[in-house]
Amino acid sequence: MKLLPIYKKAIIGTISILLLILFIYTASSKLLDLRLFELRLGRMPYIEPYAPFLSWSLPLLELVIAGLLLFPKLRIIGLYVSGILLTHFTIYIIAVLKFSDDIPCSCGGVLSALGWDDHIVFNAICMALVLTAIVLNKKQHKTSNV
Amino acid sequence: MKTSFLKIVLPAFAIIMAVGLAFATEDSNSSYVGYIGTPSGVQQIQTDCPNSGENLCFEGIYQVYNNPELTDPKLKRF
Repeated sequence: MKLLPIYKKAIIGTISILLLILFIYTASSKLLDLRLFELRLGRMPYIEPYAPFLSWSLPLLELVIAGLLLFPKLRIIGLYVSGILLTHFTIYIIAVLKFSDDIPCSCGGVLSALGWDDHIVFNAICMALVLTAIVLNKKQHKTSNV
Repeated sequence: MKTSFLKIVLPAFAIIMAVGLAFATEDSNSSYVGYIGTPSGVQQIQTDCPNSGENLCFEGIYQVYNNPELTDPKLKRF
């Protein structure tokens, strides 16, 4: 299926805005109560020793990604980094569900309404969106270079 | 005009909305008080379990209760 460049640009822009909202929302939720986030990370299997470092570096990374998505010239880097972050998070959730007996109560923010299985589906949708934006961006560059 | 809307107004609106949402859902992000029975006695702890749902809440190996008498088990959704 061939999409006009203007539609490709619009789809990439929409996906970037959706990811921007997601990352700013999750970063803000964590920063609003950093101590509680550190407490929660401290209960998570495998990453417990890194909780103090992760408690501030994760929201910082999310804000950096949001910043990258904001500027069209840096957007592609933001998309790649968000794809990597989402992949790592999804692998971690799958590992926790498969290999750990101790699964903490819930995750923060409005996403606490989701169970871990639902969270994997949510992450998969976000990863699919990131992949779509990256592929469309590549096609757009190929078209503009021809 | 259209370009400035897409490049400035829309991202700014998205950022404000995301931060606003974070504040609006701050309550669901908060922790709750619970009690656990340890070998050294009953301890008050902070837990994520909202006491709604069907599953028993655990903090490590210890079951979490709503009261210090450890008679009312705290529940969680998942």
